[in-house]
Amino acid sequence: MSAPWFSFSLPDFSYAFLSVLLEGLPFILLGTLLSGIIDQFLPSHLMTRLLPRNAFLAVCLGGLLGLVFPMCECGIVPVIRRLIAKGLPVSSAIAYMLAAPIVNPITALSTYAAFRGQGAAEFTTLRLGLGFFVAVLGGLAVLNLPIGAVLKKAILESVTLGGPSGEHATSAKPFPLRLIGAMESGVQDFLDVMVYFIIGAGVASVFSTAMNQEVFLPLSLDDRLAIPSMMTIAGVLSLCSSSDAFIAATFVAFPAVAKLAFLVFGPMMDLKLAFIYSAVFTRRFVAALAIGLFVIIGLLCLRLSVILP
Amino acid sequence: MKDILPRFAASGVLLLWGVLLSYFYLSGRIASYLHPAFHIYTIISGIVLLLLSISLLLTLPSKPPEQAHSRWFSSGGIFSILLLTIPILAATKLSPGSFGATAILNRGMVNNISDLPGFSTPREPELPNPDGSLAEGTLMDPSLYLKKNDAGYIAAETVDLLYAAGDPVMREDFENKPVEVSGQFFPALMGNPDGNRFNLTRLFVMCCAADARPIAITVQSNGSLDFPKMTWLKVRGTATFPVENGRHTPVVIAESVTETDPPEESFLY
Repeated sequence: MSAPWFSFSLPDFSYAFLSVLLEGLPFILLGTLLSGIIDQFLPSHLMTRLLPRNAFLAVCLGGLLGLVFPMCECGIVPVIRRLIAKGLPVSSAIAYMLAAPIVNPITALSTYAAFRGQGAAEFTTLRLGLGFFVAVLGGLAVLNLPIGAVLKKAILESVTLGGPSGEHATSAKPFPLRLIGAMESGVQDFLDVMVYFIIGAGVASVFSTAMNQEVFLPLSLDDRLAIPSMMTIAGVLSLCSSSDAFIAATFVAFPAVAKLAFLVFGPMMDLKLAFIYSAVFTRRFVAALAIGLFVIIGLLCLRLSVILP
Repeated sequence: MKDILPRFAASGVLLLWGVLLSYFYLSGRIASYLHPAFHIYTIISGIVLLLLSISLLLTLPSKPPEQAHSRWFSSGGIFSILLLTIPILAATKLSPGSFGATAILNRGMVNNISDLPGFSTPREPELPNPDGSLAEGTLMDPSLYLKKNDAGYIAAETVDLLYAAGDPVMREDFENKPVEVSGQFFPALMGNPDGNRFNLTRLFVMCCAADARPIAITVQSNGSLDFPKMTWLKVRGTATFPVENGRHTPVVIAESVTETDPPEESFLY
């Protein structure tokens, strides 16, 4: 007896939806509070002074920022939104956003633990290395794009005009008012991002509860099918990058490269993230990013199948 | 004045979320949704949201003039407010606090220990520590999983029997011993030629219910049993590990199968 490929249950959906919200909200709140502090207390000139002038090096540095400032994929969007407004180049911000959920100590440790006995050291190195490489590629790709094609109009205004709470507005204010300003900015970001998070959590919960995951199993036999299948599963399940390795390790029927694709693609793009990204980036850019990441990670993993059976 | 109404609305949304998060934590409902490691974040977030909600109102008079053009709900005014409130309220009302049969079936049951998230093959036992305890990282101390209840049955979890099926030493500890194990009823969809078997499932969780994987052992009874799917059952019987489909499979030969209340900890970790 086999179940249909799609069967929806409202109680199951509500349960999964609520658990995603309860798990993700604290991290979004942390990210938005941090974004408020960045908005009011981080001087713009500091960002431009610290970053290398060379664009390539600046993007690479963005890809490594997660080692120092680890953020999960839910919380990072409000942070990069404010960092962009504070002068962080969009290319570096994209590299930070894509890499930070993977290239950080927590994800490294969880990946190592999940793949014990399955070449944990090699697998963890490959995940972090590939995550960094793809993130830098993403950042470099944005270098040649007009900023208006990447950022939403409201975000673009805050960058080009200094925004309502820009440098001139904040630096002259006394500390208590800056604190209030930080709170207001943080709350505004929280409400904005939560709108997209709720939509994304809803869509992800529909698929993670209603879609029969066995439909993917026959695709595990061939790398060319297994890799896109696992990336699709990662996109549908919308797992947290700190624990997704434990789930990936259980797909025993799938080749290691397919699991690697799952672990690199998932934290960079999934149903929930596609909506959260829409809080900062244009829809066209989010769609192009999703397709680009899918193709690039897929091709790279297919190439890696030579060394990772 | 233009900023005041949206500011009140923002405060209200934060208040709602703060109350809900605090409610989930204080009522204990959070245990049905998240791994214990995440519970503390829920209550901290709830308190922070409540404080932010109050602060938004308290700071109203001291708002600097340049903030008068703050963009609350810039994603879409009333639509945002509805989206931020209605789904969470509806889900809180509708969510049963556990998955039903549809999600269990769609996720597929784990009945092989190597498919369990986080599983790693136990290392060969090393020499015991000087105090007689087992060396860290080697096989599990049997006293941890061989606790007997008042009726003389080993109080086992489904995951213990699944582990035992995959490990010769642990299997020997359980083989042909009386066990009592609880879980949710799910009909056997395969490997049930005589119609007297069913699955006893529990949810295994890494972070939250969204990543839950149903793990299942087989129960063999005297006749066909027909409970509603996902009914909580307490099974007493004998643990066996016959070789089926080329590997040891945990099968409890049931002496009694009775309906029971859900356990306090709805997940296995």
